[in-house]
Amino acid sequence: MANRRFAALIAVAAVAFAACSSSGGTAAPSSGGGGASAAAGGGAGCTVGVSWNNFQQPRWAAHDQPNIKQTVEAAGGTYIDADANLSNEQQLTDIDTLISKGAKVLILLAQDNKAVLPGLKKATDAGIPVIAYDRLIEDPSILYITFDNVLVGKAEATAVLTKVPKGNYVLIKGDPGDPNASTFLPQGWDQAGLKDKVTSGDIKIIGPADGTYTDAWKTEKAQSNMEAIIDQANASGTKIDAILAENDSTALGVVAALTAKSYGYPPLSGQDGDPANLNNVAQGKQYVDVFKNANELGKAAGAAALKLCADPKTLALTLPDGLLDPTVAPTAGLTATDFKTPGGVTVKSFILQPTPLTADNLQVAIDAKQISKADLCKGVDAATAPAACK
Amino acid sequence: MSNVADAAPASSQVQPPARTSIGGLIAQTEIDLRLFGMLVALAVILLTFNILSGGKFFQPTNMVTLAVQASGVAVIATGMVLVIVSRNIDLSVGSLVGIIAMTYALLMTDWMPNILGMGPDFPFRWVIALGIGVGLGALIGGLQGFIIAYIGVPSFIVTLGGLLSIRGFVWYLSSGAAVSGLDPNFQLIGGGALGSVGGTLTWALGIAGCVAIIVLLINGRRQRRRYGFPVRPMWAEVLLGVIGSAAALGLAAFANANFWPKGLADRYAADNNIAVPAGGLQISTGFPFPIVLLIGVTLVMTWMATRRRFGRYVYAYGGNPDAAELAGINTRWTILKTYVVMGVLCALAAAIASARLNGATLDVGQSYELYVIAAAVVGGTSFAGGIGTIPGAVLGAFVMQSLAYGLSFMGVNSPGQNVVAGIVLILAVGFDAFNRRRGGS
Repeated sequence: MANRRFAALIAVAAVAFAACSSSGGTAAPSSGGGGASAAAGGGAGCTVGVSWNNFQQPRWAAHDQPNIKQTVEAAGGTYIDADANLSNEQQLTDIDTLISKGAKVLILLAQDNKAVLPGLKKATDAGIPVIAYDRLIEDPSILYITFDNVLVGKAEATAVLTKVPKGNYVLIKGDPGDPNASTFLPQGWDQAGLKDKVTSGDIKIIGPADGTYTDAWKTEKAQSNMEAIIDQANASGTKIDAILAENDSTALGVVAALTAKSYGYPPLSGQDGDPANLNNVAQGKQYVDVFKNANELGKAAGAAALKLCADPKTLALTLPDGLLDPTVAPTAGLTATDFKTPGGVTVKSFILQPTPLTADNLQVAIDAKQISKADLCKGVDAATAPAACK
Repeated sequence: MSNVADAAPASSQVQPPARTSIGGLIAQTEIDLRLFGMLVALAVILLTFNILSGGKFFQPTNMVTLAVQASGVAVIATGMVLVIVSRNIDLSVGSLVGIIAMTYALLMTDWMPNILGMGPDFPFRWVIALGIGVGLGALIGGLQGFIIAYIGVPSFIVTLGGLLSIRGFVWYLSSGAAVSGLDPNFQLIGGGALGSVGGTLTWALGIAGCVAIIVLLINGRRQRRRYGFPVRPMWAEVLLGVIGSAAALGLAAFANANFWPKGLADRYAADNNIAVPAGGLQISTGFPFPIVLLIGVTLVMTWMATRRRFGRYVYAYGGNPDAAELAGINTRWTILKTYVVMGVLCALAAAIASARLNGATLDVGQSYELYVIAAAVVGGTSFAGGIGTIPGAVLGAFVMQSLAYGLSFMGVNSPGQNVVAGIVLILAVGFDAFNRRRGGS
């Protein structure tokens, strides 16, 4: 899921984290500590090169990069990286540079999964294994490490459907041109049982049956759409029982509309773990926020890179036990599995689970340094405060 | 015939319009046919949606929502008229709204409490924030205006640069994150049940509107007579007064037929120990603050455009830049000022947008420039310069938003909304061009 919002969400943690990462890999093992020690040893002489497509997005500097770096360096390896700044050509140059600087393993966040193929060929020709990080490259030689995007939608819908099994639903979708909005996330919703419940009549959709799309995932647009839907529901005497919003920027607009209309706050979903939305979860204005813990993704990539350094031939590797948080993957015996890509290629992969955050487990967001406790609990009523704010 | 009593030579040059046809009668009332046509178009759109929705659409609540949704774009459109009339363009308004909205949000959540030492209890925080935002808008607008007017870079280029770079600055302010949690008083600027002036004040505003219309009509008639200009026939004056007053009072009554949402009213009743009557407690919301703000902006801008030297200079320059220059008008200073006005209006629109969101996101105001330009153009502003009215642009904003809201209300998705908006834009301007050509020949 590479939409713009997902990148834009981590600002508060980014500021906090900047201090952390600049104080040096050895001095700041705080968040990568557990994983790093598990992967320790055997990394000496291993240089891991990372090619970012756009390091300006705060997410990478805040979560992914420090975790990869700490995992590699704690095992005695060397971390080097380069930023392509959204340019395909620059990324190919970067790959060349990383190889000539002595990278033994490449972690690649592709700007474009087709345009990057010449770079991938150069690396494989030189016998350098490549990890496709967060974004798929259709080539059997890679190891793919990502979050399950269909599961994000499933996690959103499961949480809300459990809370409200029957009633009137509003579906707020993202940009109509984004396959995440039109295909993957709704697939997850249907896997959670939305479609069946609509067919059986337990759930009635208010507004367009296909859901209401939001141009460019814009918060303001989601807000004005939701206002029209509320007016329409009021005019026809129906009550909105729950709202499925695909991501946090649209969920923020929905909350603004509900507030403007003094409608109360029916259970509402979102994803990204945007600080403003986590604060809404703590205030009871948003029910669930599905969160992809990028720290864990970084740890997994770092540890996998170390393994590939030692044995470049075995893509079906097993990550060290206890490396990852139990919310994203099993803690023991996590081995790369086959993943059939949309293009029909089979690649080895680690696919991590997203974490649904509700008022009950907001502590996870604080622990992952996604948000500070002060920001999470701003404006929260002490009487109804969730456990994380007490 | 209640025409000029003392037939001054000046009046003999102005032919009184023919009185026989219906067109002639309308001409005697001096109603702006274009504006009138747009009002009719707006009415047709609203009625069509009302029929399509089985009578659910045309209700006070819905119309108030529509008006609040249109208010931000309408506020900026009043300024865009002056910019386009003076043969320029401003593409940076969306980004300007974005950066000022983000400034408001950061001011009230971070800078004020943490840097300036103004805690949540500091008095008039919202006024201070608004002042800073207006100042910032005027500053950025003035800077762009300076580059356009004094350095001579085309306005399209300068404001295109503004569109890109200012949006970039928004990112740097917040690192891309959404910021929420504004001052409760500031949030009222965004409307909603609490952000409205209430029933009594709405009636007062309606009555003040009636009085103003009548005073203006009487005063206008007296002035025309004094300078020997032709006056409207008495029946036209009375008709205008009656229609104007009815419209003002009707709007007030309509806004007052919008009541507090049930949940809020029940909570209010419980908090104040009021017994809830059978049908629920009905508290009128009246005009929401963003609409009051829009009415104020429209009046001030119309006054500036038609009654102040600055406004006349803008139209003079737009009609013929060379002639304006030769007539001794400081055209550069005039152009610069139009951009300062734009900046101030963007700050007001940003206040509405951020108050509505109770915060700001990276994309607040995105593509406003297109909606604003569309509103001005649908409202009759000509890209050839010199032509355009402020009430027209406001109406244009309402026409465009009524389509978006109505389609949304009917459950038409955003691709469909964009298709309709685009077609209406072209139709409106095409119809106008056709009319002008026919009128000219």
